[in-house]
Order: sequence, then C-alpha cells, then structure tokens
Amino acid sequence: MKRAFLGEFEEIVLLTVAVLSGGGDEAAYGVTVTQEIEQKTGRAVGFSTVHTTLQRLEEKGYLSSQMGGATAERGGRRKRFFALTATGRKALVEVQQVRAQLWEALPPQALQLMGY
Amino acid sequence: MHRHPQPRPVGPPRWATYLLTRLSHPDTHEEVQGDLLELYALWVRTHGSRRANWLYSLNALKLLRPFAKPRYVSGRRSEQYPSPFFLNLDMLRNYLKIAWRNLVRSKTFSTINVLGLALGMASSLLIWLWVQDELRIGTQYPSAQHLHRVMEHEIADGRIVTDEDTPGLLADELKRVLPEVVYAANMAAVENVLMAGTVTTRQKGLYAGADWFRLYDVPLLEGTTQTANSTPGSIAISENVAKVYFGGVQQAIGKTLRFDDWQDCRVTAVFANLPANAPEKYDYVRNWQDFLRQEQWLTHWENSGPTTRVQLRPEADVAKVNAKLKTFLKGRNKDINANFNIELFLQPETEAYLYGHFRNGQRDGGRIEYVRMFVGVAVFLLLIAAINFMNLATARSAKRAREVGVRKVVGAGRASLIGQFMGETFLLALLALGLAVIAVAVVLPSFNTLTEKRLVMPLASPESWAMWLGLAVVVGALAGSYPALFLSSLSPVRVLKSALRVGAGAQQFRRGLVVFQFVLSMVMIVGTLVIYRQLHYIQQKNLGFDRANLISLSREGALIHQYQQFKERLSQMPGIQQVTFLKSNPLYNGSTSDGVRWPGKDPTVAIQFNNTSVGYDFVKTMNLKLVQGRDFSPAYGADSSNYLINEAAARRMGFANPVGKPLTFWGTPGTIIGVLKDFHFNSLHVAVRPLIVRLIPVKQPDAGVILVRPAPGQTEQALQNAETLWREMNPKFPFNYGFVDDDFARQYRNETIVGTLTMAFACLAIFIACLGLFGLATFTAEQRTKEIGIRKVLGASITSIIALLNKEFLKLVLIAVVLASPLAGYVMSRWLEGFAYRIELTWWMFALAGTLAILIALLTVSFQSLKAALVNPVKSLQSE
Repeated sequence: MKRAFLGEFEEIVLLTVAVLSGGGDEAAYGVTVTQEIEQKTGRAVGFSTVHTTLQRLEEKGYLSSQMGGATAERGGRRKRFFALTATGRKALVEVQQVRAQLWEALPPQALQLMGY
Repeated sequence: MHRHPQPRPVGPPRWATYLLTRLSHPDTHEEVQGDLLELYALWVRTHGSRRANWLYSLNALKLLRPFAKPRYVSGRRSEQYPSPFFLNLDMLRNYLKIAWRNLVRSKTFSTINVLGLALGMASSLLIWLWVQDELRIGTQYPSAQHLHRVMEHEIADGRIVTDEDTPGLLADELKRVLPEVVYAANMAAVENVLMAGTVTTRQKGLYAGADWFRLYDVPLLEGTTQTANSTPGSIAISENVAKVYFGGVQQAIGKTLRFDDWQDCRVTAVFANLPANAPEKYDYVRNWQDFLRQEQWLTHWENSGPTTRVQLRPEADVAKVNAKLKTFLKGRNKDINANFNIELFLQPETEAYLYGHFRNGQRDGGRIEYVRMFVGVAVFLLLIAAINFMNLATARSAKRAREVGVRKVVGAGRASLIGQFMGETFLLALLALGLAVIAVAVVLPSFNTLTEKRLVMPLASPESWAMWLGLAVVVGALAGSYPALFLSSLSPVRVLKSALRVGAGAQQFRRGLVVFQFVLSMVMIVGTLVIYRQLHYIQQKNLGFDRANLISLSREGALIHQYQQFKERLSQMPGIQQVTFLKSNPLYNGSTSDGVRWPGKDPTVAIQFNNTSVGYDFVKTMNLKLVQGRDFSPAYGADSSNYLINEAAARRMGFANPVGKPLTFWGTPGTIIGVLKDFHFNSLHVAVRPLIVRLIPVKQPDAGVILVRPAPGQTEQALQNAETLWREMNPKFPFNYGFVDDDFARQYRNETIVGTLTMAFACLAIFIACLGLFGLATFTAEQRTKEIGIRKVLGASITSIIALLNKEFLKLVLIAVVLASPLAGYVMSRWLEGFAYRIELTWWMFALAGTLAILIALLTVSFQSLKAALVNPVKSLQSE
C-alpha cells in the first residue's frame, strides 16, 4: 500500500488541526494551531515551523485551506483557515491503527517495565 | 501594492516587517503577516516587548522565501488580480495616446516646450562641435603625446616675457646633447612669391629642419621623410602647389621653383594637403640650412627668432628634460648674466593651441577661456530651456491632476506614474533633438563662415549619435524629473474631490526658476554689450598714428634694390602724399633687444627695447606726433647713426630732455634726435613698451613694408598709381598691397567672432526665456479668468488689470536684474583684464541691459495680460 509518510511533527500538527476544526469552521489557523500545540505538548514550537508544516501538509493533500474575511485586528489582514481532507483523516486513522497494532504486540513484561 | 504603515507607539521591528512584506512567499504573505502580528500582540502580553520583538524578528527571518515564485495552482490565488507589468503593451499604447492628446490639445505650450528645447539643444550641439574641434587641435598627430614646443622665459628688468622665439641652432643642439630627444626641428614661417613656368603666385610656407615631416607625420605623396627637405636647395611642396605649378604630383618631382625671382629650389617631395584644422598653414617646406645662410644673425646663440619643436622618447621624463632646459642656454648665450636670463621649457603640443598665454612665467589661459566660456553658454541655454519645460509642466499640473488621480485609484503605483511622465518628457526631448539636428545642419555653413572653421555634422559616427541621445536623455531627465515627481506625488483623494491647489512651495520654486533664467540671460546681454563696446573702443582707439587709408605694399623683388627710385617716382604721382619704408609690420613689432647703452645707464639692469628700422618721411607718413626734436631727414647727412625713441623709452631711460643725448644701439654709437609721442605698434592687449627707431639709408637693399599715404579722398587713385608703377618696376611679382586698417581689424578677429557669437547666443537665451515667460503668463491669465471677470464687473479698469497681471512677472525680472549685475560685472571685468587698453564697466551698461530685459519681458507678458483684460466679463463668468 502506497501512502505518503507522515512525520512525527506533521502528525501532531495534523491532529491539532483536526482537534481545533472540531470546534467550528473558522478555528484552525496559524496562530491557534501554534498555541494549541504549545499548550498541549508543552514544547516551544516556533510559528515559522508550524506555518511551514501546514504548507507542506496542504501540498501533500492532507489539509485544505480557505481565506477568511477581512479582520479588524492584525492590520486588517485575512486569516487562512485549515481543515482536514478525507486523505488527511485517513492518514491519521492509519497512523493510529499502526500504533495500536504495535501496542497490542507488546509483551506484558515490557508493559510492566514501562509502569503500566 | 501600496501600504501605508500605521503609526503605532509599540510595534514589531519595522525592518522585520519590511523584509517580510518584500521577501516572504508571495502566495502566503498576507496570512503570514497577519498571524505574526497577532502572535506579536500575544507575546507582548505574555513575554514583554523585548522578547516579543526578538521572537517576531526570528520568525520573520525564518519565513523569508526570497526566491519563491507565486504559483497559481488549485485556484489559490484566483481571487486576486495579477498586477500587470508596467511596460505592458496596452499600457504603453495608452501612455502614448494620452501623451499625444496632451500635446495636441495645448498647442501653444507644446510648441513652446519643443521649440525651446530644440533651440537650446541646437545651440549646444553647435558649441559642442566647435569645442570638439578646438580641443582636437594639436592632438591629431600620431605621436602628439610626445611632441613639445620649446619655449623661452626671458627674465630681465623685473619681468618675465614668455614666447616661442628660440635660437636658430637650438634644434640640432638639443638633438645632439639630450638623449631624450628623438627628433627636433627649428621652424620659421615665411611668405614668398613662387614662380615656375607661367605661374606666379604668393604662397605661405616654412623653413624647417629635416625632422619636420617625421615630427608631425605629414603624409608624403612623393619622396621620403629623410630627403624631403634635408639638403640645401631642396623643397617639399603641397599637393595643391604641385597641381597648380606642375599639373600633378608625379610631374613635380625634380622640377625647379623660383623663389622671389632670386633663388631656385628643386622639388624633392610632395606632401598631402594639410587638414583644415592644422594649427600651422603652409604649402611648402624649405631647407633649414638655407634659412640660416640667409639669416646669419640667427646662428648666434644670443639671438632668437624661429621656433623649435621636439619629440621626446616615450619613456622620457618631461620634468627632467625641463630641468636640463632651464639652464641650457647658460654658457651658449653669452648675454646671460646675473641680470638677464633666458630659461627654456617645454610646452606640450597638445596644449600649445589652447593655453597660449603666459603671465610672469606662469601659464595664464588663452583660447581655452573662450572654450570654457562657450561650454558655459551651452549649459546655460540648455538649463533655460529645461526650466521652461519644468515651469510649464508644473504650472499646468492642474490639467493633469485628475488623470493622475484616476490612474492611482485604478492601481498605478508612483513608480509607473513617474515612468509615464519621464517617458513623455523623453519623447519630447527626442523630438526636440531631431529638430535641433536639422537646425544645426542648416545653420552649420554660416556658422563655419563666421568662425572660420570647417565643421561637419558627424552624422555617420555612432559615437556622436550616442552623444546626442545622451544629450536628449540628460535634458529629458533634467526637465522631466521635477514635474514627474510633483505630479506623481498628488494624493488621489485631494485631486479628485476638488480642484488642485498648487502649494506655495511649488509656486515659489517656479518663481525661483524664472529668476534664474533671467539672471543667465541678463549676464549674457551684459556680456554682449561689453564685448561690443570694447571692440568699438578698439576700432575707434587712436593708435597714435593715422591708420585710415594707409596703404601698405610689400617691399620685395626688384623693390629690394630699387626702393629709392620707386619712392621718388611714386611721390610725384597724383594722389600720393607721402611714402616711407618700415622694416617691421606697422601693427605688430615683435623684435626686442636689450642692446641699448647710454651714459649713466645702470649696468646691472637689462631693459628690453622694441626696435625697428625705417626710411625717410616715417613720421609724416604715419602721421605720428613728435614731442621733441625732428624726424630723420636727408638734409642731415649722418642720420644713419641717429635714433628716434618713444616717450615710454624716454621715461624708462630717465631722460627729461633726451634730444641730443648719446645712445649706442647694437654697438653703433649715435644720438637721439627726436622723441615720438607713444603710439601703438603692438596689439592693444599689451601696453606700449620702449621703442628705438633707426634709419635705413634709401640705397641700402632691404625687405619690409612700403607705407603709402594717399592724399585725402584720393585713395583710389593712389592705389591705381602705385599698382601701375609696381607693374612697371617689379613686373615679375603680383601687386601685393593691403590697408593697415583692414589688418588692424583682422588682429581682433577672435574678439569679433566671440562678440558675434555671444550676441547670437544672448538673443537665443532671452528668446527661450521669454518663450517660458509667455507660457507662464498665458497660464496665469487663463487661471484668473474668473477673477478678472469679477474685478471688471466691480469696476476695475483695463489698465489696472494689466498692471495686476504684469506686476508679478516684473518683480521676478527685477530681482533677476539685481542679482545678475554683480555676476556679469565680475565675469566681464575678468575678460577685460586681457586688454591693456580697455573700457571701464559703467553703470549704464547694466542699466541698459536691465531695461532691455525688463522691456522684453514686459512686452512678452503684456500680450497675454491685455488679452485677458479685454475679455468681456459676461463671457468669462457665464458658465461655471
């Protein structure tokens, strides 16, 4: 089965977009995605990194985007909102499945050593 | 895309924003900027502004994609219009159409602009041709860089006289002694009657050393440079002379030419005719040894006369050669002592023509001053024309302000507007250039006659076309820059909402330019006035002798020996009053000597005396005044050892009553028999110097000038009689006469040419300036139509309205006159310094020039003012 490789950070960004866009059509854009990742993972990610990743995910077809309307803040500049595409959703599910299978295959001793 | 940065007290670093606007990915730069701004606000709140600035800059830098190209995939940018390339064909067509419509709609202004520019360009093209020709003189030889003239500083009696006269043996000696010298030749210019077969004409030529042809690389059609004029009796002639005398170049070789019916020379070479701009004009070159044999006195190192030209080796150090030359004559010239010295030095051939004047041993200008002056004039004229353009364009900006507004609203950037207006100016400048080139081609023949040059339009050379295009570009940029900047800066909101109000600044600027134009014009008017006054002064100046109708004949051929009979017979003919002989030119006496001794003379002072020799009746023929004593006269037997001196000499010698005092000149003791009132025997550029005159006995053969004074009103007859007698006594020589008056006028030929040119250019300058003024007046009158209408309705008289309109311009011209006067005074007093005898600058010249400028300006403006004042107010007020 041929599919695009999803990097670790890409996966996080993709997931975050999925999480945010659950709250409405116009919720996932550069700033919110960056903040969400920072809050949820506790790691300091640069906006530039997030922006670049979002672009790449769109190129790969996992995300689609649309310009919003004019805003009063941010110097009147418009926002670009992101949403998952079907491919994106499928990719996330696949990653999840692979992980689950691998967890299942883990012997009980190893699980105990990890504190489970 | 235009974005006006909003002023914010706290904000992200400007530079980062700027970089981001410019260099981030074009597909995403809007949202990226927005996101970063939002984050920045957040960071300021959470981290403080310093940290926020840092984060913002860091992120901005990371997001730069300087080489990214916008992509139009998947309709991402479909919601935006592509911004068109500003040189889009449609836009260009639109620009051209608008430019053409503007040109045609306002014919007056377009004509003024194009005509002004074309006139300015035409005159600067002419001047450029002239200057180029002047600068080229002396540089046309292949080895011009190594060619030098040997010059002399004569240091005596507290002053330094610099000239080109050198000893006759110098060239050969220099070549022998100095290893740096490759070629060297002495040269003396002469004029002789040449005869061969049936042809007898007078020709100008040279005696020159054998190296002459190698020095100046004169191309030889026949013969070799080694043998052209190297043996006594040999002569090289020009192609012209060869054709006239022998019917061809080949036929001439080996033939014999007779000189002054006295010497025979064999033609050994034929050289190509000299180019029109050669500094020396000659049609034959004779052998130098022949010259020294005739002029024995020149073989003494103490005497100077001919010039010396050398070519140095390319690697030679000119400074070192000059150091050697400085003392070169010491030991050779026995006259050199503590009080009298002659220093030799080199003047590069490339400089000789333009830097001919020396003062106190220092180079002091020369023709280069005229070159500089006319370059200045060319720049002035261009400036005046460019200013017209600027003035009219800014004044009429109201007409185009709407266009600018609409273009801006539709999305034209400032750069493209500047491009549009500059482009229009360039087109106009090109049009003007075309007209100018045509005008120059038409005027060039008369210009050549006036300046005695043979300039041609270098239509075939790409460099000159490049140069002309360059001129158009420079003028276009000069004239178009301000209007373009001004028009493109208009704010669309202001322009489209209400009529444009031109700010006080632009108006002030325009006034300044008008003043500037008139300052330049005024300086040129004053210049013309002063030059003409000075020329007039020279023409009218009493030289101390009566030059009117004075006929000069050349004493040559048979007359050298039969002067006495000639004089006696001619004196008895009707119409002839007096006849005398003069060794030197009556208007130019270059012969100086310090060989004058008298009892009581301070032996440590070497005083230079000009000297000449004359025949009987010298004083009467010339109409000189004797202050004391008497003229030479056959009634006194021993006059050949007596002397006449002038007042300057008497003063210099310290004699109150010189008559009867003993005097020794060139070793011949004698007595002073008379004192002549000072008269001018040199050009008015120099002061009258001490002069000693001695007598040449009538029987002694000599060459020189026979002066004939006709009876009043009988000049014609006197000339006829002289010619008849000449034909009888001197049949082999063509009758050779002149009027001293004409020669005198010719001496100031340069000044006359400069005067004529200055007047022509002054007229042009004022004309172009008035064109501009006319345009501005038209514009003002147009603008104030309603105001004038209301004033008339309320009872204003026509006079008061004309006064109202004229006042504004009159003020400007008045300011210009005040500013220009001291400037013109300074420039012209510098020019007058070149004359020892000159007019004084007086107030009336400035007053006259000022009045002239004001009158012309008034006339120009009044036409429009009158037209505006006569309009029926019903017409001007009927429509809104």
